[in-house]
Amino acid sequence: MADFPLNIDVVVIAALAPILGVTVFWFLQLIFIEIQKRLLSRLRHHHEAFCRFTNYIGIFFQTICQALGYTVTRSGISSFQVTVNYGKVEPKKEKEGVFEWIVRSFLLFGPFFIPAGLVLLVSYGVIGRGFSFPSLVHYTFVESLTGFWASLSTYGTEFVRFLINIDLLNPLHVGFVFVLLFFGLGIRPSYIGQERKEKIDILHDLIHIKDHLLEKPLYLLVIVLLLYLFYILSLFLNPAVYIGLFVIFGWMSLTAIIAILLTYPLLLLIWATDAIQPQWKIVPFITIPVSYIGSRVFFIYYPTNELERVSLLVMFLSTILVTIALIKYKRTNRFKTATKMKHVRVADGKKGTSKK
Amino acid sequence: MVKKELLKNEQVERILSPHPLSFMKLQTLCIFVIVWGIVVWWLTEFSEYAGMFSGNTWYPLILWGLVLLLVGVIASLVAIQWTIFFLYLGVFLSAIGLIFWQHWQNDIPLFIFIYSIAVSIVGFLIVELYRRSHKYVITNLRIIFKGGIFTKRERTIRYDKIADIDAKQGVLGQIFGFGTIIPVSQSGFGLGSDKTMAAGGVAVGGTKARLFGFAGGGKEVQTPIARSYYELHGVYPYKDVKQLVEDLVQSHVPTQYQQEQVEFQKQQVDIQTQMRDLLHKQVSDKPRKKMVRQPVEEEEEPEEEEAVERVPRKKMVPPEEGFQSEQVDIQQQMKDLLKKQKTARVNPPEEEEVEEEEAEEETEENEKGKEGS
Repeated sequence: MADFPLNIDVVVIAALAPILGVTVFWFLQLIFIEIQKRLLSRLRHHHEAFCRFTNYIGIFFQTICQALGYTVTRSGISSFQVTVNYGKVEPKKEKEGVFEWIVRSFLLFGPFFIPAGLVLLVSYGVIGRGFSFPSLVHYTFVESLTGFWASLSTYGTEFVRFLINIDLLNPLHVGFVFVLLFFGLGIRPSYIGQERKEKIDILHDLIHIKDHLLEKPLYLLVIVLLLYLFYILSLFLNPAVYIGLFVIFGWMSLTAIIAILLTYPLLLLIWATDAIQPQWKIVPFITIPVSYIGSRVFFIYYPTNELERVSLLVMFLSTILVTIALIKYKRTNRFKTATKMKHVRVADGKKGTSKK
Repeated sequence: MVKKELLKNEQVERILSPHPLSFMKLQTLCIFVIVWGIVVWWLTEFSEYAGMFSGNTWYPLILWGLVLLLVGVIASLVAIQWTIFFLYLGVFLSAIGLIFWQHWQNDIPLFIFIYSIAVSIVGFLIVELYRRSHKYVITNLRIIFKGGIFTKRERTIRYDKIADIDAKQGVLGQIFGFGTIIPVSQSGFGLGSDKTMAAGGVAVGGTKARLFGFAGGGKEVQTPIARSYYELHGVYPYKDVKQLVEDLVQSHVPTQYQQEQVEFQKQQVDIQTQMRDLLHKQVSDKPRKKMVRQPVEEEEEPEEEEAVERVPRKKMVPPEEGFQSEQVDIQQQMKDLLKKQKTARVNPPEEEEVEEEEAEEETEENEKGKEGS
């Protein structure tokens, strides 16, 4: 049994430290998701299929989460349907009260954590060293927060180190990058529609979550009490267990953030190539493997210790330079409009221009 | 499409071919070969497990071949198409043959890498060639399906012969906007069956006593299924094409009212034919005496009966003899037919009804007149 001083910091405030940490990372995740949504919305016009693909991944995970909610509440699943535009899960038994609330919780929170959890599982095989739980000396708020941060920091550092030294000629590493990109494009619960909609905003998600939590304050109170009970128990056994639970959620958020960040260069590249003439659009994408393989071949004859890192840098720089050069010299005709002007009509029936 | 192939009054609505990604199942087979080839090369040459394969030069080939065939078996069972297994078997055997022929036993990992890429490229080219051999022509009268690399196949289906339309869109189809439409004909062309079978065996015992158990089960499901050259496979844009086909089918399917009208016309034609025969009989049975032409006004025929050969407008009636019993029978039969004609009508217009009644009355008067004479 652990020995701890009985003061308000230890008994009450310290319990909030990991919750605060998870909330901060989750908010960060929301912001990065929001940026990704904006980027995808900009791409939607020219890359309908790509956006549909990302929608499909997002909707797929969202539907999986809802199905998981029905499974956990033992409602059963009578039908499961996922399409590019919507996902639909119907329970065998319609349960109300706390079960309904749990299902909704899965639906609202699941898409943020479940895909990230899957990536976390995969990444354990690649960066096993980064997974370290905190070991506390004092059971205070600051100590708990420091322990929480240390665990996440170790994990993040290892993850980034792995990414910097990634060997793209190793099929396992390439596979992991694809998994990251795949999940990174899908770790968002919202749909990217043709027009800018309110429901793809961060505020919309947050309002939904707030309404959901405040709808049944009693349930929320029960959860808080259960967590607090768990904290008190862990104080007697090992407070690191309590923090460790939230560290896992923190890792999930961090994984999601890294995965989302990795998709940014890809989205930016796609966006940048829109300014290039169609027949030249493919060149920046070809430059990626060609420059990397070329660099690796070059370093076979001129060996260096930083082989993977330098090759990666060469790949990034070549792609950026080639894209910039193509934008400058092979720019597409900007006057071409996707919407035919003759189709644009104003309400009074006269011809008009599109208003943006 | 060659204009000669079109029928009279036929117009081409749309010429389609499958979307480049619509044959993804076949392309996936090629992708697997290329990926597995690269993995084996990396595994046996560069990975930390490379030492495991240094004992025997044939180990990489065995690993490569075993996994290839295993995946072939699984894919064949899932897709219910054993061609996949034999395709992979062919690739594997060709690799062995090439190694022995060219004496590449010492460079097997590199050979597997290059061979996999080469085979995959050839595979992709064949799939692309196969895709391009497909052509679907949607005209205002029918759908023409064409396909096949060596053996050219063609199917034509008229819209009025389409009993059902099956449409499906996979995940890739939803993303890229293509899908497959199977028009099922009234004869059932376009329907197939999926048959799955599971079996397992177990052997228990040593050298002397052995038990062997075998359990199996099968399930057959009737489902819309057709070869890619007998369906609108992976057509783009799916929704537009589906709408077009459905509209065309709808425009060629007779409505309930039209069907009733056609049935009614058939009955009318039958009645008219019988009446004509009776009139012929009446005329041919007359006695060879001095005849007086007596005009007999027949009932007016409905408009739809114009196509039927018109009966003689005048009858030859013997002036003084009166009707024989046969003639009476014929008249009676004609009367019955007229009644039948009247009752067979489906919502006849009022004017026609009046005319018919008048015609009937006239016939009756004629009969009376003839009887009196």
